[in-house]
Amino acid sequence: MSDRIDDIPPDDSILAAEYVLRLLDPVEEAAVAARLASDPALAAEVAAWTTRFAGLDAEVDTIAPRASVKAELEKRLFGLPDRKSFWQRAGLWQGISLASVAVAAFFAFQTLQVPQATAPAPLFVSDIAAEDQSLRLLAVYNSASGEVRLTRTTGSAASGRVLQLWAIAGEAAPVSLGVLPEDTTTAVVLPEALREGVADLVLAVSDEPPGGSPTGAPTGAVLAVGQVSAL
Amino acid sequence: MATAQEIEDLISRVALGDRRAFSALYDNTSAKLFGVVLRVLNDRASAEDVVQDAYMKIWRHAGRYSANGMSPMTWMITIARNTAIDRIRKTRATVDLDGVAEHLTAPGPNPEQSAVAAGEAKRIATCLDQLEQDKGSAVRGAYLEGRSYADLAAAFNVPLNTMRTWLRRSLQTLQECMAK
Repeated sequence: MSDRIDDIPPDDSILAAEYVLRLLDPVEEAAVAARLASDPALAAEVAAWTTRFAGLDAEVDTIAPRASVKAELEKRLFGLPDRKSFWQRAGLWQGISLASVAVAAFFAFQTLQVPQATAPAPLFVSDIAAEDQSLRLLAVYNSASGEVRLTRTTGSAASGRVLQLWAIAGEAAPVSLGVLPEDTTTAVVLPEALREGVADLVLAVSDEPPGGSPTGAPTGAVLAVGQVSAL
Repeated sequence: MATAQEIEDLISRVALGDRRAFSALYDNTSAKLFGVVLRVLNDRASAEDVVQDAYMKIWRHAGRYSANGMSPMTWMITIARNTAIDRIRKTRATVDLDGVAEHLTAPGPNPEQSAVAAGEAKRIATCLDQLEQDKGSAVRGAYLEGRSYADLAAAFNVPLNTMRTWLRRSLQTLQECMAK
């Protein structure tokens, strides 16, 4: 057997394997990395070898790092331990997505029936949705009137309960915008204090006893959450 | 241990900046990633540091992971392993994570190909065992310990070029074995 390396013809598949194993020297490695973006065949080889070698991951023992590692990581990423904001505690952040904002925008145009004689005022929308989509409301805020028009498209209050709408500005406590009627559409006036920062508001709907929360803060489960965004 | 689907869901929530999901993702995966990193670095203090670096990359790049047939654990382990290897080689991250994320999210294998790939993954141990013992160990050492050609040549006491030839032949044999 010869020791010459050129007795194996250059082959992208083997090159990809060497790249995945990190056997290449830095210059060769950079050359492969640079090719990946524009060479789908090579990228596919790299992906295939990555998956093949992943079979060896089972041979690595799992070893839990010390608890301080996680604490330090979160500190590095997020700064000092923060007071979690209302909607983070609610755990419904995943209900907010750009896609849902697009849907909200679509509905906004459909629900805006007031003819605009003058230049239209800035509009804001929010898709207030439950994670499992069991409850969904679309909100459109008209900055000229200060009014939030709401259309409930899915779900309703549980029997003997009501839905209450809240606005949350950053870390501040939720501000009630009122109990929602049984009708699927309604309008509420956004308090003056919240109007300027409307684009950063989060709207949420909670499950409350008839008449609404007796405490001024949400007492029942937070059912749906939506980020406000400019249209 | 969460299922691949659960991990994937957590990653997609992390991509939206969900810290709770990130915390859950860490709880579900950090023992594996720490194991991988520790195997490469063989030093607890630097492994703790590197595993944090790896999760910072995962936090920042979660949006680039999309379900493409690649296991989410494979994606995360690849990031951890590469971060650890960058550390021992004290190089700048020559394999930029962007490159890694790029090829893992590039038009990936379709589900059928992924199923084949998953089968291949299971076969690698068997195929490695069919190589001559030294050669199988060299490939394992490269993957699990992040050894370079130079490290391996020294460990097996053969010239660098001999090691290269060995490894390339071995990789070719492996590929044929796994394609069977």
